[in-house]
Amino acid sequence: MIGSSIIIKGEVTGDEDILIEGRVEGVINLNGNQVSIGESGDVSADIQANVIKIDGTVTGDICASEKVVISKSGNVSGNIVAPRVMLEDGAIFKGSIDMDPASIASKEAPLTSQQPANSAATPMTSPGLDLKSV
Amino acid sequence: MQKSSRQPSKLLPSLFKHIDEGELITVFHVGPALPETVDFFSNYRCKLHFVDLFSALPIVCNEDTTALLEQQLAQVLTFPSDTRFDVCLFWDLFNYLNSDTIGVLLTALRPHLKDNSLAHAFSVHNLKTRHNSHLYGIQQLDVLSFRHRLAAPPGYAPHSQNTLKQLLHCFKLERSVLLADSRLELLLHASL
Repeated sequence: MIGSSIIIKGEVTGDEDILIEGRVEGVINLNGNQVSIGESGDVSADIQANVIKIDGTVTGDICASEKVVISKSGNVSGNIVAPRVMLEDGAIFKGSIDMDPASIASKEAPLTSQQPANSAATPMTSPGLDLKSV
Repeated sequence: MQKSSRQPSKLLPSLFKHIDEGELITVFHVGPALPETVDFFSNYRCKLHFVDLFSALPIVCNEDTTALLEQQLAQVLTFPSDTRFDVCLFWDLFNYLNSDTIGVLLTALRPHLKDNSLAHAFSVHNLKTRHNSHLYGIQQLDVLSFRHRLAAPPGYAPHSQNTLKQLLHCFKLERSVLLADSRLELLLHASL
């Protein structure tokens, strides 16, 4: 577990599940495992895992080989590639969702720390809207 | 978030009638991603692009601000260059945009349409139709979902059906259905 006072900048890799309650900037690559972002978790990173569950805040691209679940307290801004995506009532999501098996297969190469958040070929489709100044 | 309610739709199935089983469908969805909409599309091979223009309302365009709005919409409507939408879900967005803004929006969207793109929208039967302030989604192939918004979006100023037909320069009206509350449900076909 990454506790709520912990800040990590860089690459998080491993061969087990992880729960993030702190702040992570960079890349999270836990292929075959589960990444959980707790309610106090604040992640600015691209995430790759088997299952990704989000109760906190994520800014970045997300690739899951099984599923992504955004709970009622989750707030995600980025692109999701996964065979299945579930949103609970109250979940906030901005971006694109790709549930095409071909896309999933092409994205299964591991991320590296050379790639900053939002580095996927598909750019974010909805950067912060600020049209009110018109 | 408010609980969702159901509303049958005669036009919704037409959006998907040309989609073969296993075929990839690319969707442009105006408004926040709702759980039931994402769940519905999980039955398809799909790419969904959610752009919540309602959160940016009011968006008012006039002669002096057209260039700036074009620039801002181009940033918001940034998709991979090969993206071509099979389905556009506008919901009731056009009831909140003036003529110039609709023109700028569709010009920005046009490169991502194709000859057989279809779209769904709501408009009004007459200009006195009351504002209903709903968030829309898809529950089943012939059932829409709607939720009451916590606050009504600003700038409600619907267009007559004839005016809207002229403003939607990328689309032709294929069918319309009069709903019980004097709204119109529209099925549009791309005309490029």
